[in-house]
Order: sequence, then structure tokens, then C-alpha cells
Amino acid sequence: MWLWLWLRLRLILPQVRHAVSGRSGPTGRSASGIGAMTSDERRPAVGIGYRAALDDWTRANIERFDVIEITVDHCIYGGKAAKSAIFDLVGRIPLTAHGVGLSIGTDVPLDLAYLDAVAGIVDRLEAPAYSEHLAFTRVPGCDLANLLPLPKTVTVAQSIIAKVRVVQSRIGVPFLLENITYLFEWPDSDLSDAEFLNLICRETGAGLLLDVENLHLNSCNHGFDPYAFLDALPAGLVKEVHVAGGVTVREDFLKGPFLADSHSHPVPDGALDLLDYALARHAPATVVLERDDRLDAVNEILDDVERIRARISSQQSENVHGQPTVGSAG
Amino acid sequence: MANRLLDRQVELLEYLTSGAAIFGDGGDAAHEAAWHGIDRSSLRLEARFSHEKRMEKIAVVFRRTLKILGDDASAVVRAFAAACPPVDISRIENERQFHDFLCDRLRCERLDLPFVRDVAACELAFAKARVGVEEGEPQARSDEDRDGIRRRRGLVLLRCVYDIRPIFEGGSGEAAPIKRDTPLAIGIPPGADEPRVLELLPAVFDLVAALDDWTDPAALGATPELQALIRDLAQHGVLEVRG
Repeated sequence: MWLWLWLRLRLILPQVRHAVSGRSGPTGRSASGIGAMTSDERRPAVGIGYRAALDDWTRANIERFDVIEITVDHCIYGGKAAKSAIFDLVGRIPLTAHGVGLSIGTDVPLDLAYLDAVAGIVDRLEAPAYSEHLAFTRVPGCDLANLLPLPKTVTVAQSIIAKVRVVQSRIGVPFLLENITYLFEWPDSDLSDAEFLNLICRETGAGLLLDVENLHLNSCNHGFDPYAFLDALPAGLVKEVHVAGGVTVREDFLKGPFLADSHSHPVPDGALDLLDYALARHAPATVVLERDDRLDAVNEILDDVERIRARISSQQSENVHGQPTVGSAG
Repeated sequence: MANRLLDRQVELLEYLTSGAAIFGDGGDAAHEAAWHGIDRSSLRLEARFSHEKRMEKIAVVFRRTLKILGDDASAVVRAFAAACPPVDISRIENERQFHDFLCDRLRCERLDLPFVRDVAACELAFAKARVGVEEGEPQARSDEDRDGIRRRRGLVLLRCVYDIRPIFEGGSGEAAPIKRDTPLAIGIPPGADEPRVLELLPAVFDLVAALDDWTDPAALGATPELQALIRDLAQHGVLEVRG
């Protein structure tokens, strides 16, 4: 074999023709200043979810944010360059860890290898918490990669409680569950959204990552009072907050317009009003803007961050004038 | 409907990944009744969102392939969705599914554009190189202590039937590629952020393909020409050299 190769090589050496493309990739990254958590412990850190497509822009504007949320699955499944860009942020700005791939609601045992990979990433990011969705995305042999709701029953809650305890035993930081937006309800659900979440969080000590946009959309699409949902949460349960902006979907087969959580547009006032209300009873450590589409509209992202900051300042001002925040970020 | 939650979840995902749910196949009557007590229009929206999200990611990688397919692309995507439910969250696995489906379909159908398979394979190779997927590379026997040369980890070797480089260089895709054995190495060279493509001479391609594990170059003969070739391949990120 080698002799044959060598004989052929002697005939064709030394040319190796170089060809084809090579699109220019991300340019060198500047070492911007380190973002810092606000000195006021009661004021949540405000930031954005990291998106590789906005890596350069994020670094150039890093001083505008107090925190960056990292999707741990990007560290597991992403390319080498994407991973190294993420880990390069460690020490430059506080990072928090969020996941989309746990599928805690699938009625099978948790994927412990995945969890251990997450634990390593959370450590490496020096993240103070790890959050996941109260949802399922896959079954054996099929992964929709989209968050689906669970039947809201005591039996399902008990199954989730057991799994949350497994997560807590393997991840070294507090675990938070996020409320999802859902398009349909299981017919056997007999608990409200808040009852389902409260039951799981109370039994496990898990905190809540409150997605106010999801709450806003669900309340509009399914016709319930979002403020009643917030009132039903124990004070201090909300440890982190997500905000985002979606779109209205109209299809012939739908009975009416549907609000979709597309993370593509400015945050609606309705969601920010819910943020205001939540801040009066909870002291989340972070408020993170999620944006996944129309990423070229970066001014909208900066505007939203400022709108969030303004709402927080306004809420704090109200608290100073006699309406104290209840609970703590803990 | 099954009582066990997992069975219900399996049934739901089967429905959400079906052509009936995604595209409304089966006519209006099939969509009037609720699906196991769940409003079917909401499920159709869920199915469509999930499908679009998946295809958006696939389309980014197979941009040139889909452009070449032109009007046929939507039929291919539709058939792909019906035949290949997503099995994994990772992008590369979905991209591999699409590539394999497309190749099977092209094998079975009249080939007006026989070079599409090569274009799709090259686009998948780019995606693999970005992620650093290492395929067909046996475990190194004793990685730590051995000197020599070996194929760079994450490098993708691809032997194309057509010279598709003009499609990637020019991006126009208008001129049909020439049929010519074209051995390619696709990878991210040291210091680069994005994959590059090198065309290798057939014998060099065979040599690189054979270098799964650390190999003493002396076993190949220590001529200045060979040393120059090894240096050149190492510089371009095709080989790793140690010792």
C-alpha cells in the first residue's frame, strides 16, 4: 500500500492545487470593557441572550449590558469557533446559563450524559444559575426541537418533581424552570399554569425564570388574566426574567389571529407592563432580552434594553416611595 | 389515545411531523375533528412552526443546492419533511438527514442536474468542518506518545464526480460543472475561522485518506519531495505533524 502510494507520489509531487472558496468568517474580537452587575442588589442585571450571528456587535456594545445569557446547547452542539467565542466571554461580563435541550417533560428518564455536559459548561461559564423550560421537545427517535406543553396534572407534576431533583443533584448551581408559550392545551389538564408551576417549585425549591412575553402571549391566545397568574406566584419565586417580542399570525385554518413567540420584534408594552407588575413582588437577578430573528435591526435591541432599564428604574422609584419589593433574589 | 404519557407524546410528535399536520395534506375533512381532544388548527400551527424552524437552518447550509434545484426545491423539502422526521436537536444531524434524503431521491429520479449531489455533499462537508465532525476516523491507538504525521482531525475528504468549484467560487451556478474526478479536502486551517477547500491530486488524496493514525513519514521514504509535500499539507491544515 505504502509502496504504491510512494511510487505514485514520486510521479506527481510536489503540486497540490489549492482551490475554491473560503468565505470570510468572523473578524478578530475586540476586548471591550467588562460589564458589571449593578451595585444595587435589588436592581436586576439587564442583558441579552448571546447569538453567534451578533458576536462582533455584542462585543462592541458589551458595556451596554450587565449580563449575557448563554444557551448551553450552543456550547454542546455548536462549532469550534462558536464555542470558543462563547467561552471567550467568561470574565468579560457575567454570564448566566440557559438550556433548550433537556426536555424535562419527556416521560423517560433524564439524559444524564447531557446533564453532565451541561454541568461542565455551567461551571466553565461561572454561571450563577441554570434554567430550562417546563416542557418537552422530543421522544425517543424524534426531536422536534420545539417546546411543547405538558398535561398540567398532579401526576405529571410529580414526575417532573423527581426529575428536577435529579437535575439539582448534578448541577452545582440553582435550577430554574421557565414558563413556555404554548399553542394548545392537553384535554386532561386540570391545574392552572400557576398551580402547576407552584407545585413543582414548592416541592423542589426550584426558582422560576418568568418569561413575561410567554405569559403575555398565552393570556391573549388562551384568554386568561396574566395578572392573576402573577398574583398566584409566591413572592420571591421569580429569579430571572425573559422578555421578547413576537408577531401576530393569521392563517386560514386558524379561528382568529394568534400571537407567536418569534423573538423577532420589539417587546410589546403589554409584556413590559407584566414586567413592572412582577418587579413589585419579586427581585429577579437578571432580565434578559431574547432576540432570534431580524437580527440586523440591532437598534431595536438597544432600544428594548433601554426600555427595560427604564421600567426597572421606574419600578424602583415607586418602591422607594412606599411600595416595597417583596421577596429576594436569593 | 394511549394513557401512558410517553405513548401520548410519541403519538403527538408523529402527528406534528406528518405531512397532514405540516402541509394540511388529506383535505379539509381530515382537519375538522379534534385530535385526541386537542384543537387541530393549533397543532397544525405548531407543526408548521417546527418545520419552518428546522428548514430555515437546513436552508442556510444548503443554499447553493436549493438554488440549483430551483422550482423543484419546494417539492424536495415537502417530500423530505414527510419522509424524514427530525431525530436529533443538533443542526448537523438534520443537515445530514437532508443530504442523505436528497441523494437517495436523486438516485431514484432522472438526473437533469447530476452534479447536485456533489454540491450538496460539499455544502454538508462545510457544515461538518465548522462543527468539527470527525467521521470514519478510528480511535488513535496511542495518541499521546507518538510522533509522525496524520490527517488533521475534523478534515472532511470528499471525492466529487464533477468539478463543482466554480459554483462555490462564483456563486452564480449558471454554468454546468465539468465531469472530472475532483478529490477535495475541506477543513478549517490553523488560524482561520471558516472552512477552506483544497483540491488534492488523486494520489495525495489517497495518502491523506490513509493517514488515520500517527505514521512515521520515514516509512513513506524520506525524500525532499515528500518532506516538501508534508510541509505544504501541514501548512494548509490537511496534515498534523508531530515530533
